[in-house]
Parts: sequence; C-alpha cells; structure tokens
Amino acid sequence: MSIEPQRPGSREVHDYTEEYGYHSDQQSLRLRRGPSRVSNQNQPQFDWSSPHEEEDEEGSSGPPRDLRATPLPIALKRAIRQVQQMQVPVVSSRDSWKRKKAKSLRKLKDSGMGFLSFFSLWSKTLQKIGGNFGGGVQSYFLFLRFLVVLNFVSFLLIAGFVLVPSIVFRSVGAALVNSTGQGACLVYDPNPEGLVVFYNYFLDLLSGTGFMEYSYLFYGYYNNTMVEDKNISYNIPLAYLFTAVFYFVFCLICIIARMGTAARVVVATGSSTVGDYSMIVFTSWDYGCLGDRATKLKQKNIHYRLQVDLEEESIKKRAAALTLSQKIVLYSLRVFMCFVSFGLIIAAFYGIFAATEFSQVKSGQEGILGLFFEYLPSIVITAGNFVVPLLCDQIALIERYSPSTTVIVALLRAVFLRLVSLGVLLFTLWRQITCEGAENTGECKLCQYNHLLYPCWETRVGQEMYKLTLFDFLINIAVLVLVEFPRRMVVDNWSNKLAQWVGRQEFVVPANVLGLVYGQTVVWTGALFCPLLPLINTLKFILLFYFKKITLFHNCRPALKTFRSTTSTFFFLVVLLFGLGLGTVVMIYSLSEIRPSMRVSLFIGSQSFSIPLFALSCVVMCYFVALASVYGKSVALLRNQIKLEGRDKQFLTAGASS
Amino acid sequence: MGTTASQLGKDMLSEYQELTFLTKQEILLAHKRFTELLTKDEKDLPNTRVPMERILTLPELKSNPFRKRICNVFSTSEYKDGGLTFEDFLDLLSAFSDSATLEIKSHYAFRIFDFDDDGTLDCRDLEKLVNCLTGETDDTRLTPEEMRQLINNILEESDIDKDGTVNLSEFQHVISRSPDFVSSFKIVL
Repeated sequence: MSIEPQRPGSREVHDYTEEYGYHSDQQSLRLRRGPSRVSNQNQPQFDWSSPHEEEDEEGSSGPPRDLRATPLPIALKRAIRQVQQMQVPVVSSRDSWKRKKAKSLRKLKDSGMGFLSFFSLWSKTLQKIGGNFGGGVQSYFLFLRFLVVLNFVSFLLIAGFVLVPSIVFRSVGAALVNSTGQGACLVYDPNPEGLVVFYNYFLDLLSGTGFMEYSYLFYGYYNNTMVEDKNISYNIPLAYLFTAVFYFVFCLICIIARMGTAARVVVATGSSTVGDYSMIVFTSWDYGCLGDRATKLKQKNIHYRLQVDLEEESIKKRAAALTLSQKIVLYSLRVFMCFVSFGLIIAAFYGIFAATEFSQVKSGQEGILGLFFEYLPSIVITAGNFVVPLLCDQIALIERYSPSTTVIVALLRAVFLRLVSLGVLLFTLWRQITCEGAENTGECKLCQYNHLLYPCWETRVGQEMYKLTLFDFLINIAVLVLVEFPRRMVVDNWSNKLAQWVGRQEFVVPANVLGLVYGQTVVWTGALFCPLLPLINTLKFILLFYFKKITLFHNCRPALKTFRSTTSTFFFLVVLLFGLGLGTVVMIYSLSEIRPSMRVSLFIGSQSFSIPLFALSCVVMCYFVALASVYGKSVALLRNQIKLEGRDKQFLTAGASS
Repeated sequence: MGTTASQLGKDMLSEYQELTFLTKQEILLAHKRFTELLTKDEKDLPNTRVPMERILTLPELKSNPFRKRICNVFSTSEYKDGGLTFEDFLDLLSAFSDSATLEIKSHYAFRIFDFDDDGTLDCRDLEKLVNCLTGETDDTRLTPEEMRQLINNILEESDIDKDGTVNLSEFQHVISRSPDFVSSFKIVL
C-alpha cells in the first residue's frame, strides 16, 4: 500500500485517519512499538503505549475512554482495541481492578442518567418547542421549569419544618406560651361573625380575607408555641425563622449554581454579540430541526441575523463618520429621551403610590366594589407594566441606537419598572403600618404600629402578596383567552390587508421572562408572611406552563429575530437575583425594624444574626465577581498569545522560504 | 464482524457501548430504525451498505441542508458514494449524541463543512457553507457584496496564522468559544 505524500496546495483528499497514525487501508495494521517508523510518514503516530502510562498517573480513565473520543470509524477503533489488548502482557491486579471499577462506574452512571431522564419534567415537550420555535423560546420554558422545581422544593422545606409540626401540635393541643404586652395590642379576631353570604366565600378566596385569613395560609395563624414533650422540644417560632432564612439561602445557592456554567461561558467568550460572524456561521445551525418548515425558518433566521449584523457594521462605520454638529444633535436627543422615559416611570410610581394609599383607606368596603378597591394596586401595577414599555419602545425608535443596544436598553427599563414598582407598593404599605415612620405618634403610640388598621400587619402584607400573585395569574389567563385566541381567529379567517398586517402573535421572550421574574419576586417578598405562597406559586407556574404551551403552538408564529439562548439564560438569572435581593431586603427590614405585632409575634429577640448573614453573602458574591474578572483577563491574555504565536509562525516560514 | 439478523447480540451491544457514546437504548433504537431501511433480501446479509438515497429518507436527515455531506463524511465506502453500513450509522449517531465530547463534534463539524475534502476551509468552502445556511434559492442568498464582506470578516476573525484558510485547530478554537454548539450539534432518533 502506498501513501500519497501531502503536497502543499494539492487537491488530494485529506486523509484524516493519518493524523491518528492509522492507515485507512486495513491490511496495513501492524504492531507498532516505540518510535521506530517503517513508513515515510512524517506525522506523529498514535502512541500505543500512552494509555497505560496515563492510567498509572491518573488511575481513572482506561483505554475505552480514549477510544470513544477518537474520531475514527468503529471498525478502526475495534482494530486498535484489539491491538491494545494483545499488547498488554503484564497488567498488575491493581491496574485491572482500577479499570474494572472505572468501567462499572461508567455503566452505573449511564444507567443513572437514563433513570434520571425518565424523571426529567417535560423534556419531550421542551425538545419539541426547541425544534419548532428555536432556542430563545425554549430557554423561557427551561427557566419556567427551573422556577417550578425551585418553588416545589422550597414548599417541601417549609412544609417539613413549619407546617407539619404546626398541624401536629395544634391537633395535639399544645399549650401556649404567655405573651407579654399591652391589652389592646393583643386583640386579633379576623373570623367573620354571624351568617356569611355564599358569594362572600368567593370574594374571600380572591382577597385572602375572612375564612382564609385565619388559616395556615398566613402568619397570623401560627401560634407562639413552644412544645415540650417528654423527650422532644420543638420551638416553632425559631423553626419558622430558620426555615425562612434557609429558604432564601437555598434559592440563592440554586440560582448561582445554575448561573455557574452559563457564567463561565459568558466570561470565556468575552467578545460582543455583534460581529461574531465566524461564530454564527460555524455554530448556528441546529441539527435537531425537523421538517421542511422548521428548516426554512431556521435558514430565514440565520439569513436575517447575518444581514442585521452586516448592516450594523456599516451603520457603525457611518456613525463614526458623522460630523460634529450631527453628533451633538443626536446625543442631546438621546439625553432628552432618557429623561422622558424616566419621567414616565416616575409617573407610574406615583400612580401606584396613590392607588395603594387609596386602597388601604377604603379597605373596609363590602362586595364587588370592595374587591375592586382591594385589587387596585395590582391593577395599577399591571397597567403601568403594560403601558410604559410600549411608550419606551416608541422612544427607542427616536433614539436610534443600534438594534442590539435597543434591545438591552428596553429590557433594562422594563426590569427597573417592574421590580421597583413592587418596591413602591411595599413602601406605601410600610408607611401606613408605621404611621409614616413616626412610631410614637398618633395611632401608633400604643403598640409602635398602627394596631387599629392592622391588628396583625404581617398577615396584611402576606395578603397583599397573595393578591398580587393571584391577579398576575388571572391577567395572564385573561390575555390568553381574550386577546391571543381571538387574534388568531381574526387573522386566519379574515383575509383582508389589515388582518395580514397585524399578523399572528409572536412569542416575545423578554416580556414573558420578566413576568416570571416579577411573579417569583412577589413570592419571595411574601414568603415570610404567607408560608404557603411557594406552593401556590408552584401550581400557578405549572398551569402557566401548559397555558403558554397551548398558546405557543396554536396562536404564535415563530419569531424572526433570534435570541442567543445561553447569554440570555444568564441574563434571566441575573434579573432573578435582583428579585431575590429585593425579597431579602424586605425580610431583613421587617424582621429587624418594625415591631412585631404583639398577639401573633413569633420573634422576640431572635433576629440579630440576619445582618451578619447578609454581610457574608455579600462577601461571597464579591469573591465570585473578582474570580470572574480574573478569568476574563487570563482568557484575553491567552488569546493574544495565540495571535502572537501565529505571527511568529508566519515570520519563520517566510524567513525559511526566502 | 457485523450485524446481521433482526436481533443484535449481547456482546456486540456491549462492544458498541464501549466504542461509541451511545447508550444501550439508543443503540437498540438505531438498529431498529436501520433495519427498517433494509429491503427483505438485504436483511439477511451481513454488513449491508444502504445507499445514500435511502438513508436520506430518514426524517431526521431529510431536510437537513448538510445531509449529503454528513453521509459522505461518515461513509466508509470505497466508492465514496455516501452509503452507510450499520456501524457507519452508529458512528454518525455517536458523533451527534448527547454525550459526545466537544472535540469529537468539532472534528466532525469541520469535516462536514470541508466541501472539497482538502483539510482546510477556504473561500469556496465558506461560500458553499453560507449558502447552505441561508438557503439555496436566489431570494434567500446573500448578495455578492454581503458575501464578500462576510467571508472577509470570518477570515479576519478566525484565520490566526493568516494563510487565507481556516484549519482544524483554528476552527476548534472558534467552536470552543460557542456555548450553544454542543447542544445544537445533536441528532436524536
């Protein structure tokens, strides 16, 4: 057999098997020992002896691992393995034991993965979504699944440590510890008296009052019990506190763990999303695309993306060539528009503030009107979250940023609006509870909080969060039923120009993700006061998954503009961390600053360690941020080094040929 | 040394598990799908090579723009006609499986994109690659100026030693920066 010599610039077919020291002609198989070469090959040979050395050093992976990772056909790999097995004269029992152990470990791992994938929730559905609608939409549903699991595990935590002991001890009839305090501050009887009309139950269900208020749902129900039986003593208040704190820490760890891989990759890529043409061309094809329609769609996506990037590049070149006066006009326009958008956001905040005050004042009303007043803050928040981003989009058109910057700016504004509007609601509640901060005046003089309006302020805050969660869910369903389905009916059945221009709904990922983050933040803020809220949220998110899936497949057309799935997942998790931070701040502030309501107080003097805990988590975060920046710098250094090596090689070859 | 009748032997199965990245269920499913492609006579013969046209009727490959290149790369046929035996088919699925390493995937991706099989990606290969990605019809292609600009940008970004082509290690360097590649270079039956 002969080998064609590799002539430079030759059009001969490149034999990839040569690089692995194996001729594609099977008859040439010979036992090769050491460096002695018979053929005139000048490429490094596959080192037969290396697996044994590696095994002595590492003691983990045997030859099968190396073989799997060799890009050769199966027949060649089999031949190599046979040669290796023939070449093994003396193998110490320790080596063979290690190899056997590695093999059985891998078999165990494979069967374990198979077992786990059986349990993986909704994996077939997610695959279908990804194949039909792309990675961006799939990342939303993956995020939703993560939140479902997080909420469910949190609920199990709370149930195990607080709910179940409470139920057990309450049914056993454990004795109450005498609580000290002023007489008037102890009055708390939310049970409705007399005959209750039937539809009141429904109203109570929606607003968390009446029969729902004095139940396991809210803080007020958990007695200040300390059970001491013959052998066991269980301090429920302490358990409640520890569970709440541990819940936050657990969520933080989960989110950071999930950010781990995504963060590493984002740091390693380093370069911006625009202009990474080789990345787009080499990596963007999705081989899981099934069917002609999905393929054509993906091709259209890629075409669009390439065109947009090329266009952005030429825009940048043009922008750099602007004259000075044009630049001044553009920048002043942008600054003005920034102020306008801030003005809109502040107007929304003021609206929420006014609505919350009004709602608290009118909180005694009965019937449907009373329900409307109860839900007024939620309504205003939702309206603000809907209207302000629309206006901001119009503003962005005037600002004329490049397309990618526009998306980022819009997202940041929406995040700001959503999370801080929640903060405004909480701020107004706090003002009402503590008589505007002056805790020793007026109605707050007796108990250091407004005990007339709020006999148990913790339950009240829990009720607000409960209402927010429920309302958010109902609005989602309503939009689905009243907007998306009719829109599809109109577009499909009415073939005039207007309908075609409006077109089918597009599944907008950022807006939906922000909705999820908002919902989760509400749950975190309310978890301390409404322990069953994670369970309610789990059910809400599960139902949301199915509803969104239905609307995706029936009503939506796939989006033209693509969305980078891994960097966007990282961004979703960062925004989720902001929400967690807000929840933590609320919890710490309410535990340490506002005096707990006397009747239902569970925490007397056990909140001193929350501040050190918060400081510790800040330190840990700073450490990780520092680590990430160090890695980023070393990646940049190494990349520069590769460039320099390339230039050296060029220089040397140029020098050698001259 | 090959697979014959409708049942896959236990020792063959464990051998395939060791030589590829596929799990037992995946290998059995692949065997089932492969035998569905065989005619009645072919089912009894050992090591039958299924011609490319029949392989391309598989729904997972039918609309893939790289289907012909994939068959050519994994085929061990002497006539370079893209026909696949069962073991070639397993090689294909192993490279496209969930657990295959980045090195394997990037190696095979490079070979798939190397349209003229000369070991490097030059301008012609890149142009064919981009046309596959955007669609072959006239209204889906990029304009010649856009194509020229794009290829220049690609070479500027990835051709580190400035020889006008992208070789395997430069390609693997670009791929290693992509977070989505491993999850998108996947074909699951």
